[in-house]
Amino acid sequence: MSRLSFGIPFRANAAAALKNASLIEAMRTSTSTFTEKRAEGVAKVPFEQWREEASRIRTEVLDNLPQLIDRFAAAATRAGSIVHRARDAEAAREIVGSILKDRGVRTVVKAKSMVTEEIHLNQYLESMEIRPVETDLGEYIVQIAGEKPSHILAPALHKNRRDIGKLFAEKLGIEYTDDPEVLTKVARRALREEFISADAGLSGVNLAAADTGSIAIFTNEGNGRMVTTLPPIHVAVMTMEKIIPSLADLSLFIRLLPRSATGQTLSSYFSLITGTRKAGEATGARELHIVIVDNGRSRILQGEFRDILKCIRCSACLNVCPVFRAIGGHAYGSTYPGPMGIVLTTLLDGMEKAHPILDGSTLCGACTEVCPVKVPLAGLIASLRRQKVELGFADTNERIGMAGFGMAAGSPSLFAFSQSMAHRLWSVIQRLGRNSAVERLPRPVEQTFRRRMS
Amino acid sequence: MRVQLFGTCLVDTFFPETGEAVVRLLRHFGVEAIFPKDQTCCGKPADSAGYVREARKAALHFLSVFDGQDPIVIPSGSCASMVKNHYPGLFHGDDRMRKKAEETAARTYELSQFLVHVLEAHKAGLSGKGTITYHSSCQLMRELGVREEPLTLLKSLKGAEFVPLPNADRCCGFGGVFMGKMPEVSMALANEKAESVIGTGADTLTGCDHGCLMNIADAIQRRRANVRVRHLASVLAEGL
Amino acid sequence: MTRDEIVNLFMENAAKAAAETFKVSGPEGLKQVVAEITKGNSPIYCAAVTENEKAAAIPPEVLTDDFFTAAVSVEEVFGAIAETGSLICSSEGGKPVQGGLLPSHHIAIVAAENIFPELEDFFGTRTLPLPANITLETGPSRTADIELTLTIGVHGPERLSIIVV
Repeated sequence: MSRLSFGIPFRANAAAALKNASLIEAMRTSTSTFTEKRAEGVAKVPFEQWREEASRIRTEVLDNLPQLIDRFAAAATRAGSIVHRARDAEAAREIVGSILKDRGVRTVVKAKSMVTEEIHLNQYLESMEIRPVETDLGEYIVQIAGEKPSHILAPALHKNRRDIGKLFAEKLGIEYTDDPEVLTKVARRALREEFISADAGLSGVNLAAADTGSIAIFTNEGNGRMVTTLPPIHVAVMTMEKIIPSLADLSLFIRLLPRSATGQTLSSYFSLITGTRKAGEATGARELHIVIVDNGRSRILQGEFRDILKCIRCSACLNVCPVFRAIGGHAYGSTYPGPMGIVLTTLLDGMEKAHPILDGSTLCGACTEVCPVKVPLAGLIASLRRQKVELGFADTNERIGMAGFGMAAGSPSLFAFSQSMAHRLWSVIQRLGRNSAVERLPRPVEQTFRRRMS
Repeated sequence: MRVQLFGTCLVDTFFPETGEAVVRLLRHFGVEAIFPKDQTCCGKPADSAGYVREARKAALHFLSVFDGQDPIVIPSGSCASMVKNHYPGLFHGDDRMRKKAEETAARTYELSQFLVHVLEAHKAGLSGKGTITYHSSCQLMRELGVREEPLTLLKSLKGAEFVPLPNADRCCGFGGVFMGKMPEVSMALANEKAESVIGTGADTLTGCDHGCLMNIADAIQRRRANVRVRHLASVLAEGL
Repeated sequence: MTRDEIVNLFMENAAKAAAETFKVSGPEGLKQVVAEITKGNSPIYCAAVTENEKAAAIPPEVLTDDFFTAAVSVEEVFGAIAETGSLICSSEGGKPVQGGLLPSHHIAIVAAENIFPELEDFFGTRTLPLPANITLETGPSRTADIELTLTIGVHGPERLSIIVV
């Protein structure tokens, strides 16, 4: 049985992306730069040893996740944070929304957070007349353009400087320029005002230490520091798998994350936030809310694909993926693109919606090779394809073709017969296969190797 | 010495000259290549697309055809990796077949592996001609860990010049079923790869997987560039 | 590693992250370097609490106590990490960590004995209760969000000067 299901129009999206010359150019240059920088960054250090250790720690986290979350929540509470748990996206939105609304917040400054994209928080806040202001330059660009991030680390990667120049001229009323430096300073000025006047700050969390209840945030721009220290209220939204067992494990992840992302030894800023401002302190929010989002992860944790929860969102797998590199992030039609995105989206959104993006891998294994926590990404994609077939989401022609393939693979005479038919009927096959890969194949030979060898 | 040769379906159907080159090459080193005539396909396309049942059918057939103790030589990284790395997993819960798959995997070699590690062909002073560049296919490199062997062989050729391919480890976009399911992206990747190949100025592109080579060759032809695309076996056999 | 090696490794790595680095042997040198690199740039925020901050001897007429409007901030930071070339800014002892974030020029004074060789040497020794905020600052604020063109000085300092005493 084949289920009639369309899901994300991935092939069409990809084909459209390939017609966008400026996108292709932007993607090629940027992913190459990231990949080269990463390679330089990991070349001088015992990277294999580190990722082995990090993988072990992340596996240990998954083995004990419920207890570690409880331990984290208890420690965070002791440090003065208010911990909330959200079962799904809706609950997460409502929790954040009511925290802000109850405190009369009108403007909230945001540091980059993928989970808030996952739960579609901005639209929800806007509907409550709370204005979310993205402060990461890339997110800011994407927000004023009314788009979504195309990369989990560099949200505006799909745009070139001319696109951004036009956007700023139109939306911010400045004179057109495509000088990145000038554009950056324009954003600096516009956002500085927002930081100082905002009623609350909203951030994601890169890592959370269970023993101390601390949350860690990496940024290069300094917006993460502003968001978490200037406004009186700080709301941090994290997915449950961001936990690491203890502060003692932190150093390893500080070494791995920025290196895997951009090749940097460390991002410009790394902030470790433990609770609220204490007596005698002059830094820190007066109120710190930590919202721990499940949204399907407890279910993933129980299943055969749980290794995807080891992911620390470094984006190395996106940058190195030949498919992502060619088409950019928007084509995936999901919050998370690239190899980790294919796996996570299929698990979060379900096979019915996400199955087309499972085609977005050549299984070349470059993703698996760079992953700093050894998530077997290509293997997970291959296993999810199996599940897709089992659940009946493969298309009918493919199923018939594969059934035929199975028969021929088990029968030498049928196999040889198919070869000879393919040779003889090649012109028909080519006509039928117009606009498909068939156009790119040579004609099967008459004297096959098996014939020559017998 | 005697080996069993698995031709692979691509060589069998499209590139029989490559199969013949393998036979000649092995014979040159005193190895007799037996071609079990009932061989079909290793099942890789079904396995990559998620069709376990069909992949298992192919694997069962392969395992019965390639019985015995002789080493198995395969002129393809992805097919060799299918046998070596993926077969055992297909027989989850069937200990007898799993064991057989593991035994078979242990005596299976990708061609360049066999040439370097068993025959030490890189020390034989083979000759070649022209300037040659090399595409590193993904499963060969990442699943089998064969990175240096083909280069060692190419660099040992007297009379030929080896030129490295920039971004040689980047996928060409073939990906087996990928080429069929995402033809536009596959083509785009092949085009980029073809540009890199042409940019090296080499007159020959070689590699260990006909899938990739076929994909890149098509993109090169569309550019009407004067680059021959030949399997490593053919390049090596040419100088015998 | 000897103390000198640790200091040198720190300065080397901080310089790689685009910070400017100075090494001085005492209060006189410190005062001189601060005067030189702040020349013509004011107002300056400096809490002048620690001995080293006092030794920087910033003339009262250029001082401000408002780091929101300061052009420069001068502070002695908690310490540094040689492995990564990072400064450790901590809210311990009532320090406003954001003081080093808002002004466009951040001048950080580090006592040589407070430089930790590796990340673990710092994080491994932390005990509860932790301060509300510990920030590792590695080079000036930067972004590459526009065509991956590196631009220094987004939301944080455009210039980071480090003086090791």
